[in-house]
Amino acid sequence: MAEPAGGGPRPAEGLGRVLVAVYAVFALAAGARAAVQLSTRFSEAPVAYLLSALAAVVYVVATVGLARGGRAGRRTALVACAVELTGVLVVGVLSLADRAAFPDETVWSGFGQGYGYVPLVLPVLGLLYLRAQGRPPRATA
Amino acid sequence: MTTALVAAVTVVAALLTLAGLASTAARRRIGLVHLALAGVLEALLVAQAVLALVRLAGDRELPETATFLGYLAGALLLPVAGVLFARGETTRWAGTVLAVPAAAVSVMVWRLLQLWEAGRG
Repeated sequence: MAEPAGGGPRPAEGLGRVLVAVYAVFALAAGARAAVQLSTRFSEAPVAYLLSALAAVVYVVATVGLARGGRAGRRTALVACAVELTGVLVVGVLSLADRAAFPDETVWSGFGQGYGYVPLVLPVLGLLYLRAQGRPPRATA
Repeated sequence: MTTALVAAVTVVAALLTLAGLASTAARRRIGLVHLALAGVLEALLVAQAVLALVRLAGDRELPETATFLGYLAGALLLPVAGVLFARGETTRWAGTVLAVPAAAVSVMVWRLLQLWEAGRG
């Protein structure tokens, strides 16, 4: 798919918009969860709850990056998806290995099993989508 | 918050999800059916929210009020946001864009019911 002339941002459409919708739902879910956890019982598990907040921020950034499109949007989304994939893998392993550090669920606990493992699949889909979007338009001779 | 209401929400949300996916499969944009289902879904969610808030203002006590209110507000927001976002989509993927928040609502209401039934009063 070609960028418009001038290379300005092209907002997500088609399948990209579906991806944005899923990311927006997770931004909402993770954001609400982190807000509740941080405001009502931060001292119980500061590490887990700060990770919850980080996850929320990452989802918001990825949503905005994917929705805006263009070079800058894609690059922003790329970083967010990479952090997200790293986060879900690291937190997934840690939450299984060290239950004491994660007494309460975060979006990324157990590789996102509380959310049907969507948090594990989502960054991969995001990265695949970004790779497809980043390809130069087919040369038409 | 009753199981019957949650079941009704789930059925309508599931129908909206299926209608959305069907329009994508048929390579069509969303139509009146989707808007009507989204309207019914939102009406049920508003009814549920009003019932819950009235009971909460009364003697109902929940162990996790903040979490409950978060899910309640989130569920109210999703169909509206979904319709607005899907209406801006001009390809066949509009239906899937609407199916995503509809599916999310059908899961969220059961978590809401769980949080509600943990309460007393």
